[in-house]
Amino acid sequence: MVQYIVVGLVFGSIYALAASGLVVTYVSTGVLNFAFGAMAFFIARTYYALHTEHHWGIVPAAVVCLLVLAPALGLALYLTIFRYLRLASQLIKVVVTVGLSVVIPTVATMIYGNTQLFVIPGLAPVPVDTFDVFGVAVTLDQVIAYASVIVIVVAGALVLRFTEAGLSVRAMVDSEAMTSLSGSNPARIAAGVWIVSTMLAGLAGILAAPVIGLDAGKFTLLVAGAFAAVIAARLRNLTVAVVVALLLGVVGSLVQWALPPSSPVTANVIPAIPFVFVVVSLVVNILRSGRVDEEQGVGGALDRAITPNGGVRLAASTDVDTWFPRLDVGFPILVFAGIAVLPLVFSTYWQGILATGVALAIVFLSYTLVTGEGGMLWLCQITFAGVGALTTAQLATQHGWPVLAAVLVGGLVAAALGTLIGLLTIRLGNLYVALVTLTFGLLMERLVFALKPFAQSGAGLPVARPDFAVSDQAFVYLALGVFAILAVLMVNLRRSTTGLALDAVRWSETGARTMGISVVQMKLLVSGLAAFVAGVGGGLFALSHKQAVPVEYATLAGLVWLAILVTFGVRSNIAALLAGCVFALSPAFVQSTLKLNSTWAQVPVLLFGLGAIAVAKNPEGTVHQQARAFQRGLHHLLHRSGAPTGSGQ
Amino acid sequence: MSAAVATPVDGPVANDEPVLAATDVTVRFGGLTALDRVSIEVPPGTIVGLVGPNGAGKTTLFGVLSGLVRPDTGEVLLGGQRVTRATPAARARLGLARTFQQLELFLGLTVRQHVVLGVRVRTERRRLWSDLLTAGALHPESEAERSRVDHLLDLLGLTDVAHAPAATLPLGTARRVEVARALATSPRVVLLDEPSSGLDAGETARISDAFRTVVDEEGVSLLLVEHDVAMVLGLSSRVSVLDFGVRIAEGTPDEIRTDPAVRAAYLGDDGDTPGALQ
Ligand SMILES: Nc1ncnc2c1ncn2[C@@H]1O[C@H](COP(=O)(O)OP(=O)(O)OP(=O)(O)O)[C@@H](O)[C@H]1O
Ligand SMILES: [Mg+2]
Repeated sequence: MVQYIVVGLVFGSIYALAASGLVVTYVSTGVLNFAFGAMAFFIARTYYALHTEHHWGIVPAAVVCLLVLAPALGLALYLTIFRYLRLASQLIKVVVTVGLSVVIPTVATMIYGNTQLFVIPGLAPVPVDTFDVFGVAVTLDQVIAYASVIVIVVAGALVLRFTEAGLSVRAMVDSEAMTSLSGSNPARIAAGVWIVSTMLAGLAGILAAPVIGLDAGKFTLLVAGAFAAVIAARLRNLTVAVVVALLLGVVGSLVQWALPPSSPVTANVIPAIPFVFVVVSLVVNILRSGRVDEEQGVGGALDRAITPNGGVRLAASTDVDTWFPRLDVGFPILVFAGIAVLPLVFSTYWQGILATGVALAIVFLSYTLVTGEGGMLWLCQITFAGVGALTTAQLATQHGWPVLAAVLVGGLVAAALGTLIGLLTIRLGNLYVALVTLTFGLLMERLVFALKPFAQSGAGLPVARPDFAVSDQAFVYLALGVFAILAVLMVNLRRSTTGLALDAVRWSETGARTMGISVVQMKLLVSGLAAFVAGVGGGLFALSHKQAVPVEYATLAGLVWLAILVTFGVRSNIAALLAGCVFALSPAFVQSTLKLNSTWAQVPVLLFGLGAIAVAKNPEGTVHQQARAFQRGLHHLLHRSGAPTGSGQ
Repeated sequence: MSAAVATPVDGPVANDEPVLAATDVTVRFGGLTALDRVSIEVPPGTIVGLVGPNGAGKTTLFGVLSGLVRPDTGEVLLGGQRVTRATPAARARLGLARTFQQLELFLGLTVRQHVVLGVRVRTERRRLWSDLLTAGALHPESEAERSRVDHLLDLLGLTDVAHAPAATLPLGTARRVEVARALATSPRVVLLDEPSSGLDAGETARISDAFRTVVDEEGVSLLLVEHDVAMVLGLSSRVSVLDFGVRIAEGTPDEIRTDPAVRAAYLGDDGDTPGALQ
C-alpha cells in the first residue's frame, strides 16, 4: 500500500504543478488555460526529441526546454493571443484556449511526426536509480517529482509574499485598478505570469511523460484532472489547489490498490476519480454559498468606480454578441442549394463523406443554440451526440425499432440529460459551466460509453439506415432535410418572443428577471433543445457510417468541433452547415485529391484551431466575417450594374 | 388611455393601502450595515422620493424591494401581499418594475424590442413558450401592442431611436430606455434609481413630465431615487431621507426642506442652508 502512495504522490505532484500554473494564470490574468496540457505536451515532446532523439545530455536538454523554450513560448503566446483577452468575456477566453489546445498538438505532430513512443525517460538518468526509504522503493524520478513540487511551492510562496512582483500579482488578484495605481505595469506582470506558468507546464509535462506516455490527449486529460484541484480552490487559492492535487493523486492510487487489478471496472473507474472530485467540490461550494461564480469577490469598488458605466462588464458582454449580426436570407439559401447539388456531382466516395459532414452540421447546430443563442459555453455537446448515437443503435439494432423513431428517441434521451445538466449548472458562472460540462463529458465517456453493450469491445454496434435512404446520395438528402427542418425551427425561435427573451437573458440576467422573465426556464429551454438537436445529429452521424462507435464521441474531439464551429460562426445556422461539410471533406481532400502525406492532413485541423484563436481579435468568427464582406461586395456590384439600367428607362 | 390600462392589475388599489411597503429592513454586507431597520411606504398613484448621500443605502433598498438582495430582517409587501421571499420575476409579475443606476439593458436588442418584450411579458406571457410551436416569428404585431409600444416610445422621446440597438445609445437615452422598458410591463409601482443622472436639463424636464403623465393617466406609483434633490422635492408628495443606512426623516417636501437632521446630513453639522434644499 505504501508503494501505491509513493506512486500516487507522483501523480499528485504533477497535478499540483499543473494546478499551480492554472491558478496563477487565472488569478492574475482571468484566463483559465484549457491549453495547459497541450503546452506541457509540446515542451515534453521537445525534451524527448532533444534528449532521446538527438542524444543531448539531460541537463542541456532540460535547460533548453524549461529555461529557453518554455519562457519563449509563454511570452509569444502572451504577445500574440492572451494580451487581447484581458477584457474579453469568459466565453471567448475559453474558446481561445480551447483553440490553442487544438493547435499546439497539431503543430507538434507536424514537427515531430506521429510515431507511437513507448519508453520515455524523465529527468533522471537511465537506468533510474532506486532508493530504499524505510523499506519502500523510491525511484530518482519520483524523488525529482516530489522535490520539484516542494521547491516550486516554497519558492512561489516566498516570491508572492516577499517580492514586489509578488505583491503586484497578489494585488492584481484583488483589483487590477489597484495594481495600476500602485505604479506596477499590469501588462508586464501578465507577461511574466504567462512565462512562469508555461515553465510550470513544461516541468509538469516532462515529469508526466514517463508516467502517462507522450500523447497529447492524455496530457489534456491529466490537466482536466487538475481542474478538480482548481475548482476545489475556487480558482484562486493556491494552497488549497496544491493540497487537493496531492490528495487527488494519492486517492487515485489507493483506489487502484483497493480494486481488483485486472477488472475492466478498475480501468474505467481510476480515470474518473478527478471528475468525481469536481462534482464533490462543486456541491460543497454550492452548499456553502448558494452560488458559484468566477466573478465572486473579484475587483474592488475601485475597479467599478474607475471603469465608467461598468466599462469592463460592458466590453465583456458586447463581444459575445458582436458574434453575429445575422446574414440575410439570400446567402444561406444559396449555400444550402449549393450543398444540395453536391451529391449529384460527387462520386460515391465523396457522397459518403458529405453524408457525415451534414450529420455533423446538425450536431453543430446544437452549439449554435446553446452557445450562440443561450450564451452558455457547454463543452459536452459531443456527449449528447454520443448519447443519441448509442441510443439509436441500441433501439434499432438490439430491439428492432424503426431507425428514425430510434433517432428521435435518442434525441429525447439526450434532451432529458441536457435539461438535467442545465438544472445542475443553473447557479454556476460561465467558466464553471464550461468546466462542469467538460467533466460530465469525460465521466460519461468513461463510465457509460465504455460499457459493454455500447462499446462492444471498441467497434460499437452497427446501425442500418432507413430503407428509403440506404444509398449515400439518398442519405445526404435525408440529413439535409433534417438540417433544414431544425434550421427553420431555429430561425423561428430567434425571431419569436422566445428569442427576444433569450436575448434578454443573455445580455442581462438581472434586467430580465426584474421584468418578469424566468431565467431558469429560459436556460433550461435552450439546454434541452440543444441537447435534443445534438442527440438527433449524433444518431444521424452514426447512421452516416452505419456504426455507432463510442470513441467517436470522445469529449476532447468535441473541443475540436467547437473550434471549427467558432471559426465559421457560432450564431449562424448556415455557418454550422458549412463547418460540418468542410470539417468532413477537407482532410479527405488533402489526402486523396492533393495526394499529400499525412502531415498535411493536419493542416485543416490546424486552421480550425487558429480560427478559434482568432476569435480573440475577431469575435464574429473568421469565415462568417469574410462571408459578410463578400456579400457587401456583391451588393455593391449589383447596385452599380443595376443603376444605369434604371436610369436608362 | 383606456380605463383598462389605468388599473393594470386588478386588486385593492382603490383604498389607501400602500402598493409597496417595506418594514424594518436590515441588510448587512459583512461588517457593514447597509440598511438598519428601514421602513418605507408607497401609496397608490403617488410619487415618493428617496434621497440620501452617496452610500446611504438607496440602491440596496431597491435591491431588497425588487428581490435581488435578501434582507437579514424585515418584510416586503407588494399590493398587500408578503413577497419577502419571492423571486424578482415573481414580483415583476405582481406589478413591480424598476430601473438601474448601473444600466441593465439588453445591449443587442433595439429600443423598440425592449418595449415590445416588456409589453408581451405582461400581456401575452404564454408566447414566451408557445411561439416555438406556433411559428411565432410570423405573427403580425397586434394593434393593441403596437399602439401601446408607440405610445411609450413617444412618451419618453424614443421614437427616433426606436430601431437603434441599445449598445449604440448615449447614456441619457439609455436611461430613458430603461424607464420605457419598466413602464412597458404595465406595473403598479416603478422603482427609479437615479433616472436623471447623465441627462441634460432638457431631458430631465422631459422625463419629469413623463413621470407625472404616467402617474396621472395610468395610476402608477413611483419610488424615485435622485441626487437632484430639487427634482425630487418638486415631484414627490412624500420624501424619505436615508443616511448611513438609517432613515433619518420622512415627510412632505416642505417638512424635509426644514428638517434639521436632513440639513446636518447634507452639510456636516453647520446650520447653513444647502442650496439643494431651498
Ligand atoms: N454587494 C455589496 N457588497 C458589499 N457592500 C455593498 C454591496 N452593495 C452595496 N454595498 C455598500 O453598501 C452601502 C450602501 O450602498 P448603496 O449602493 O445602496 O448606496 P446608494 O445610496 O445607492 O449610493 P449612491 O448614491 O452612490 O448610489 C455602501 O457603503 C456600499 O459600498
Ligand atoms: Mg445607488
